[in-house]
Amino acid sequence: MDNYMTLKIKAASQNEALARSAVAAFCVSLNPTVDVLSDIKTAVSEAVTNSIVHGYNGQDDGTVEIVAFLEGTTLHIDVKDEGIGIEDIERAKKPFFTTKPDEERSGMGFTVMESFMDELIVENNVPHGVVVKMKKNLGADTTER
Amino acid sequence: MKISSKVTNGTLYVALYGELDESCATYVRSRLDALFDTPKLTKVVLDMAGVTFMDSTGIGMLIGRYKILKGKNLPLLLSSPSAVVDKLLRLSGIYELMPKINF
Repeated sequence: MDNYMTLKIKAASQNEALARSAVAAFCVSLNPTVDVLSDIKTAVSEAVTNSIVHGYNGQDDGTVEIVAFLEGTTLHIDVKDEGIGIEDIERAKKPFFTTKPDEERSGMGFTVMESFMDELIVENNVPHGVVVKMKKNLGADTTER
Repeated sequence: MKISSKVTNGTLYVALYGELDESCATYVRSRLDALFDTPKLTKVVLDMAGVTFMDSTGIGMLIGRYKILKGKNLPLLLSSPSAVVDKLLRLSGIYELMPKINF
């Protein structure tokens, strides 16, 4: 592992900006483009929002842990909470699925993470809660010129 | 997040400035809904140019505003989003509900 960081925040929405900015700052050493940095910030924001709004049900109670590490040019981001967990992960990942439609939730969080990152894995945390594991290659982009 | 607004010829223009996420969604929602009660409106334009960051919480908030305006028979338009915000808006398909315009 070339470099890593761990950030633990209170599960409160005012900490979302801190979480996404910290991860963005962490990967600046790899000289990502503005677009790539923006993708990463959005994906982190989605995962942290899920933990706060769904994992801890917006109670401002509990901790969200954000781990970022670099393996070569690949950025790994793990977002963990010890909240109520997700009953059916596959269903939760479907676009527009939400357990809180009355709160004007879009149900797009996992879809955004999947679209903006190269890989997304959602697992139950042990003994409770959720771990979201994301990967993105920050190496030289050969797919677009 | 800062909000400014003006009404010109029945069009309510609302400009949003800053980062739009869960931390300000409730505030933005209530400010917009209060502005939507302005009498004699014919349409609403949300100026997104000043929004520097947005996640899917913003999408949910926008769809909620669309529904409220639909109940008042008022079209909602999104103006001039930055490239990073536009990417999320396109992914969500929200322009089917509230078309994008550029000034």
